[in-house]
Amino acid sequence: MKITQNSTDTTLTLILDGELDASSSVLLDNELSKPEILRNQKILVDCRQLNYISSAGLGVFISHLQTFQDANVKLVFFNMQEKVHNVFEILGLDSLMTIVPSSAEAEAA
Amino acid sequence: MSFVRKIHPFLLPFSVLSWLALLTGTLLYVHPALTEGRFMPSGWMVLALLALFTVALFLRERYRPERLRGIDFNRLMGRLVRGPGLLAAAGVGLHLVLYYVQPPPATGSLLLTGIYLSNVGLFMVLLARTTYAWRSLVLFHNTDRLRQHWTWFEVLLGATLLLHLLPWTPPLGLATALFGALGAFGAYLSGRQKWVAYLSRRQKLEVLLLQLAIIAVMALFVFYFQRTQNTLRLLVPPTQSAFLLLCAFFAGFYALVGLLVTLLHLPTAGVFEQKREEILSMQRLTQLIQRGQTAAEVYRMFFESAIQTVGADAAWLLVEEQEKNYLEHHHHLTPEQGNAIRLLLADYNLSNIEYLNNDLAGSSFRQLNLPYGSLMVMPLQSSKQQYGNIYVLKQYAQAFDRENLSILQTFASQTVLSIENLQLIQASLNTQRVQDELKIASAVQESLIPKNLPIDNWFEISSHAVSATEVGGDFYDFLHLPGRRLAVLIGDVSGKGVTAAFHVAQMKGIFHALMQENPLARNEREKFPVPSKFMAQANDALARCLEKSAFITASLYIIDYEHGGFVFARAGHCHTLYYHSIKEEVSYFRTTGLGLGIIRNDGYEKHIKNQFYDYNPGDVMVIYTDGIVEARDAAQDEYGEDRLLRMLEQSFYLDADQIKEYMLADLNEFSKGQPMHDDQTLLVIKFKAAQPEAGL
Repeated sequence: MKITQNSTDTTLTLILDGELDASSSVLLDNELSKPEILRNQKILVDCRQLNYISSAGLGVFISHLQTFQDANVKLVFFNMQEKVHNVFEILGLDSLMTIVPSSAEAEAA
Repeated sequence: MSFVRKIHPFLLPFSVLSWLALLTGTLLYVHPALTEGRFMPSGWMVLALLALFTVALFLRERYRPERLRGIDFNRLMGRLVRGPGLLAAAGVGLHLVLYYVQPPPATGSLLLTGIYLSNVGLFMVLLARTTYAWRSLVLFHNTDRLRQHWTWFEVLLGATLLLHLLPWTPPLGLATALFGALGAFGAYLSGRQKWVAYLSRRQKLEVLLLQLAIIAVMALFVFYFQRTQNTLRLLVPPTQSAFLLLCAFFAGFYALVGLLVTLLHLPTAGVFEQKREEILSMQRLTQLIQRGQTAAEVYRMFFESAIQTVGADAAWLLVEEQEKNYLEHHHHLTPEQGNAIRLLLADYNLSNIEYLNNDLAGSSFRQLNLPYGSLMVMPLQSSKQQYGNIYVLKQYAQAFDRENLSILQTFASQTVLSIENLQLIQASLNTQRVQDELKIASAVQESLIPKNLPIDNWFEISSHAVSATEVGGDFYDFLHLPGRRLAVLIGDVSGKGVTAAFHVAQMKGIFHALMQENPLARNEREKFPVPSKFMAQANDALARCLEKSAFITASLYIIDYEHGGFVFARAGHCHTLYYHSIKEEVSYFRTTGLGLGIIRNDGYEKHIKNQFYDYNPGDVMVIYTDGIVEARDAAQDEYGEDRLLRMLEQSFYLDADQIKEYMLADLNEFSKGQPMHDDQTLLVIKFKAAQPEAGL
């Protein structure tokens, strides 16, 4: 799992590359737990290279969902592969999180 | 030599018999008057009988089990002297006393001849025992080469037995040369005295006495035979003197050389003993680990060994066990004195390193006014950790040397090794305990899985559940409700291991608690919560105890087989696979629904929906957990919903059990050789044609 960050004044883009399993989700959790992350207005997660997400990986996003909402930080996923999207959908997360097809839509969101 | 081993048990009776034959033969030979000259054995026959007796005795000794036990040389020699040695000496003494009290007639009396022959027998026994006791000593810690030399010595010695039996007598010069050479061979073997080094001082003194005793007995016999041979008309032609003399010479000479070597070793015995003591202390230290002793005992052992080995006048061991928690040992040194030394060393930045000072009075230690002249400090440390220091003192200056320091260092590293080993053992015991507890947890969880599936003539149920680890996060359960209804719950707790297992148990508790009849219900419908209501209440209950990143997926089905329908809600759990017998079609119920524990406020209820369906006989419902559809093959591809769907298309007409087996067979074929990543649960429910309940 590789996590790349692109940051502008108001937006942080996380590019996830590989499989988000129990061990790599710890890395992601460390990134999302940093206090300065709440200074962003938007966090965009690029899932183009995300091949697999385990329940631990989902758990990381779920655990930060409330914090982001409270701090008015928007969490947007884009470029999601179908099988990963299917996992979000089965769990019902698509009704809680913003998942859009492309980066343009993500920035507009 | 297996032949000799076979006849070995008979050698003792044989030697006794041959001795009796020898006695009879000799008596007849010396006193022909006994049979009035009718039977007079020849001198050759007497000699041959003696040779037989000798061979039997020596062979018996040669192939006895080893008499030397470990390095207990004193026992070996003690038994030799106290047994055959004492007996033989007593026999000779008796003869000599009789001889001097009553001078024999010219031809010798019968009694004296008998005593003489018993003495010959005893001497032979003594010689055989001595020779083979010496063999054990010669070959102690020696090479194969020496073993061969010894065998040659034995063979040559044996050959001299035959010498007098041959009609041919070698010229005197040749005989002398041969015997001289054999004597030299014996002398060469007598140089092998390695065993002496293994004796302690006390043992050496004891051995000296034993060796003296053996030399004395040998000398006694030589003297005895010389006296008797001339005065008694016995054993003419002369006895097997060559063999006897060579054996006695070797036995005596080995004892003599041994005596000298032991004498020379006496002054150095102390040093050897000290070295041995060091090794033994080390061994004791090592064995402490194996006996599973405590760290405190290892430290005490180390402290005592160190004092004893370097001969310290005072010592102090300081070990920091945990934060500011010290373990101390003192020997003629007060904690104040020890601390003063420690602080002084710290002042000079000499803490926790090896330190040797042989002149305390001439250095900064003077200010401490210690009654000691020399100091050694040795840290107890490994690459990972600092354990403590030992301080060893001696009264006089220049009392320690590098040797002492290196011994102390060896002890210290051995101690650290022991301590770390103990820690490892402790750690592995803890691991073992945890594993045992996991086994218990696994058994407890096993007991939570419903063993008896509901049986009714309206449907068939078949189930399959395996955990990837000892305890799993999958669960399913059944509950009969009044009015011919059945509640079926399936679910999966995120994460694995003990935490997940706890939530499984919790979930079952919630299921059974919420599925109770509500006595305040205003109508029939409200008596039991509908699935969506159940999920909302479960979410509420879980919100308070589930850790932040954990969630649970679940589906609850309430099947009403009186009315031929069911209602279910899916809380983020895998879609239900279904065969519709009327449409002859397999599909998934693609309903929406959010997992439990994801949002933890009142808003959950709007994320979950009930789905109603009227089933027909022949319909098949397959419910499962993601361990099934996310199982992987060698190429890391997932099994997937589509393949599961095809399996049902191919097997819907079978029994519930057979459908399950069909699906699992395909799944196992797919993921063959791959480790199991996640728990797998699969339930197959097949609805059957409605049949009225008996008695209704």
